[in-house]
Amino acid sequence: MRKCVLRMALFASIVAWTPVLSGCWDIKDINHRSLPIVMGVKQVDRAYKVLLLIPEVSPSEAKAKIVSGSGNTINEILDEINKNMEYKVDLLHLKVIVFERSIAEKGLDQSVESFMRSKDIPNKTFTAISEGALEPLFEKLEASSGSGGTEVYDFFEKNAGWSPEVVQTRIWEVFRSMDSYTRDVVIPIIKPGRTTTIESPGGAVIKNGKMVGDINSEESLLYNLFKGSGTQGKIEVMDHATVKIVSDRLNTTSEMHAGQAVLNSRLHLKVTVVETVGTPTEAQIKKEIDKQLSMRFNGMLRSAQAKEADILGLGQLFRDEMSRADLQHWRSKYYPFMKINFKVHVVIQDEGLLKIDV
Amino acid sequence: MNLLECLKSRQELDSDLFLTPMRLSDRTVTLAGYTSLIDMPQTMIVLRQLAQNDVASDHPLFALDSGLGVAMQNPDEQALLDAIAEGDLLIFSDEADRCIRIVPVSRTLSRAIESPTTENVLRGAISAFNEDLDTNIGLVKKHSLSEKLRIRSYMLGKNQRRRSVLLHMEGQNHDRLLESISNKLESLPDKDIPDLQALSELLGFSKWSLISRFNTTELPQEAASALESGKVVLLLDRFPFAVVLPSLLSDLFVTQNDRNFPTVFRVSFQILRILGLLANVLLPGLYVALVAVNPEVLRIEIALSIAGSREGVPYPALVETLLLLVIIELTLESAIRLPKTIGPTMTMVGGIILGQAVVDAKLVSNILIIILAATTIANFTIIGFQNATALRLYKYLLLVLSAMFGVLGLFVGMVIICAYLGHVSTFGIPYLTRWKTGGRHG
Amino acid sequence: MDKSRQVIVMYLITHLGLIFFLYPVDIISALSVGHWSAVLLGFMLHIALVAVYTKGLSYGAPQNVVDLFQGVGKAFAFVALLPLAVYFIVVIIITTRAYAEIATVIFLSDTPISTIMLLFLAVSTAISLTGIEAIFRTGMLIAILFFPFLLLVIVLSFQNADWHYMLPLMDRKTASLSFVYHPSFLKSLFAFVGGFLFLGFIPPDVPYRRGKIVKVSFALLPFFLISVYVPLMTFGENTSSRFPFPFIMAVDTVDISWLMFDRVTMFFMISLLCFVILFLSLVMWNTMLLLKRGFPAFRTKSAVLVLAGLVFVVCLLVPSWNTLEKMLWWNTLLRFYAALVIPLLTLAIGMRQRRKGAVRP
Repeated sequence: MRKCVLRMALFASIVAWTPVLSGCWDIKDINHRSLPIVMGVKQVDRAYKVLLLIPEVSPSEAKAKIVSGSGNTINEILDEINKNMEYKVDLLHLKVIVFERSIAEKGLDQSVESFMRSKDIPNKTFTAISEGALEPLFEKLEASSGSGGTEVYDFFEKNAGWSPEVVQTRIWEVFRSMDSYTRDVVIPIIKPGRTTTIESPGGAVIKNGKMVGDINSEESLLYNLFKGSGTQGKIEVMDHATVKIVSDRLNTTSEMHAGQAVLNSRLHLKVTVVETVGTPTEAQIKKEIDKQLSMRFNGMLRSAQAKEADILGLGQLFRDEMSRADLQHWRSKYYPFMKINFKVHVVIQDEGLLKIDV
Repeated sequence: MNLLECLKSRQELDSDLFLTPMRLSDRTVTLAGYTSLIDMPQTMIVLRQLAQNDVASDHPLFALDSGLGVAMQNPDEQALLDAIAEGDLLIFSDEADRCIRIVPVSRTLSRAIESPTTENVLRGAISAFNEDLDTNIGLVKKHSLSEKLRIRSYMLGKNQRRRSVLLHMEGQNHDRLLESISNKLESLPDKDIPDLQALSELLGFSKWSLISRFNTTELPQEAASALESGKVVLLLDRFPFAVVLPSLLSDLFVTQNDRNFPTVFRVSFQILRILGLLANVLLPGLYVALVAVNPEVLRIEIALSIAGSREGVPYPALVETLLLLVIIELTLESAIRLPKTIGPTMTMVGGIILGQAVVDAKLVSNILIIILAATTIANFTIIGFQNATALRLYKYLLLVLSAMFGVLGLFVGMVIICAYLGHVSTFGIPYLTRWKTGGRHG
Repeated sequence: MDKSRQVIVMYLITHLGLIFFLYPVDIISALSVGHWSAVLLGFMLHIALVAVYTKGLSYGAPQNVVDLFQGVGKAFAFVALLPLAVYFIVVIIITTRAYAEIATVIFLSDTPISTIMLLFLAVSTAISLTGIEAIFRTGMLIAILFFPFLLLVIVLSFQNADWHYMLPLMDRKTASLSFVYHPSFLKSLFAFVGGFLFLGFIPPDVPYRRGKIVKVSFALLPFFLISVYVPLMTFGENTSSRFPFPFIMAVDTVDISWLMFDRVTMFFMISLLCFVILFLSLVMWNTMLLLKRGFPAFRTKSAVLVLAGLVFVVCLLVPSWNTLEKMLWWNTLLRFYAALVIPLLTLAIGMRQRRKGAVRP
């Protein structure tokens, strides 16, 4: 009997302690947190300015608001914003981080590192660079936030509005490139669109966390192709025809000849014809695709080589042919002098619903 | 003569007892028994016929081998009362102090064999047990026509005598299991068993057990298949269920009736039930964990829509969930009490009016309504009402842990439940055993 | 009734729980090229020790380690097994503290670490009180429930893998095996050692085939390799050496758009934490067995509670992750005792026992 009473007492005390204990740390329900979706970072002189796009959802409507603050470090600004907000700012759902172009040119490493270090920012957050000032971009986002501000996110999200001319780069990829010997990244550039919410004119070439150049959206497509993030559905415009890439496959072989890196690369494309101008033959279309893509590719690579930025991660292909010490100098010693043979092999899978005269 | 005197004095206390004089083949006898248990006119006709037969064959009525029933040798009062209580008729001869006990035509006090009320059968035998023990034994026998079926009968209880019957299949059993059960039943014959909890105590199970240690079934088919697979079935008089021992985790998912369907369907039913169990136990906790502690797990779209729907709800997710869960439990409980004709009204009030209004009044979020509806539905995919009831409890543990530790709490709660299930064993047979005919694996 | 399956499942899941959190970081910081050689070396050591241990046990079967050692002499058993008990207690402390820390770092940043430790300890104490057979059954059920999750996430974790990062496979520094003396490599043996000692404590009424354990051990190799190579292939060596929990970071980069949950990886980590809880309860049960045999005066229930309380207090006293790393390092000596001496002694005693048994049939 005594045992029973003891047991009851133990149970009662556990039950009684539960709410007391759990009250010790603050658990905030989801509606008492504000979940910013987009964060903008810019630098004015030495101080940072942070803009947050926070969705405001109620059962009847969904809109978003902009909150901003400035200070010496990003965390300080976030604390400041947190203090002044009626809800707790929770970056757990941050989807896109937009840097202003000027800060990208100065170097992103400091901020990227602090984002990676933070426990709450997910490391698969998308990054983007704003071509102009951040404020107009955010105002545009706020104005067109019909679904609580998720538009930018949808713009990059593969199963939503992403298109193959837009580069997707996540924050961990940027972080990886900062320490990597053989890999640089491209961060998409965005600006407020005239009729659409945003548009992307291309991407920024980031070398060791610093923006050193840019590529246009056709080159972005090639970049995506190389990264293997499927270019399906892309429409390629040429003089005589427009084709849609159905599937792609890239074969590369790498070799070192007396200190010179040589890369043979062959791109296999399957396309369907969407539009023709005049009456081109199939062979003509194939040849033009080859010519155009090779030219574009070589142009992009040459400018990247000039800046010693290995955006395609070609150094990866030479990993087993160089020692680790040599790899360290890949960007400066080997990459600029690398020879690349790029070939495109096209198969026209079908010609749409009209025939082409052969 | 003094036995009759005893009964006469007894009659003053118990008006149901009758003592009717009657002439049987030229002798005056007194019949004694309970009016409520014996169909008197029919019995008298039978008695007369028997007596005539006896006279025709020149037998004295009260001779030992008269064939008119069992003669009682020098019975004491208690023996007489027991005999009457069991529904037998006693015949006293007026001349000598002798007494015969015979089985009369009894009144029909049981239902006819009907279809089950708490279990549904879609494809399979539909007859169910009723309150009459012999009928029940007969039903089981009909369903498992085997010469290996063994039946042991016990009389349990002191104040309330209750017949109970232990059935098992020869050669299929776990000897230890059978031994322990029959030991328990034999060692405590004086314990009353008014209810199943008393039986559970008799069998030595803890009062605080959170899972039912024996399965009950209303279907002879299920009982027969349990016997077939080597389990032990206990039938109690006046109890329209068979008690199947031991109860195992697989009893929540596997029913004999499934075997009437092709294997693919059977397996998918079972998977469905497992999913139902998981959904029932996990969903409320998951909601609380995701809303209160780990919102980063949700996709942003869902997170925003939950946040929107919770806008204006004044209390934390735990309280919100508990509130609605209690209402649902109340609905369930009242639905059992309600007459069948009023049931639909309840559904209407509970489901439509309350559900809609509670969201409109911003007392709970509408996502929670969906989740709890799913939980409740999932609860009853489990086989056996007693199991479904036990499950209802577990989700509260997970709920509290989730409110404290989020998804981690939810999973740790699962570990705790698993550990509990792993810990429980019935007569040395773990609850998590995989039972196969003739032996166990696992 | 052969309980091999339960024992094997328990063996696998306790190792899985230990592999993915602390192991990769040690291997990655121990060497910069050819990590597979370090993994393989540790693994071979592990297999060898398990083989020696189980061989010894099967010679002495059905006795467990304590019986075997006490067969030699009471005092010998006491002296030989006392360090093991200490080792177990230290393992409980380190594991509880480390995993509570990991839980706060990864997904419960607002929850005080002490309550998480309390949760871990309370649950594992309760489980250890239910006895070894119940622990095995629980392990089985948990494995069935959580293992699909694990496999799914492990498959998905290759999403961002760049296979070129595996190269080069070898360089001169790695080939010289100089990493063997690297503290990180020695620390990494934590993942190998803790898990298999429980095999020796299984009481005779839980029969299992000892030879099977060695065979099944090979199934662990892919997991060891994956835990190291997934972060390497996702981030490259330079970057992944900067993370305290490389595998978790790598899994966090996985983006799955077809699930209703954004961070599926959390379920993965929590399943592993549950395995760790089981590991804790197993070690606690081992410790209790040792203490009970060493000091028969103990009453199991109260002794377990005292032990758990003690562990909790020590855990509270550990101020930081660095202290923990240091403790892990200090524990290396005891670990070597537990990992090398105990299996070898078991083998020796087992062989002696067998010889005796052969003489006196």
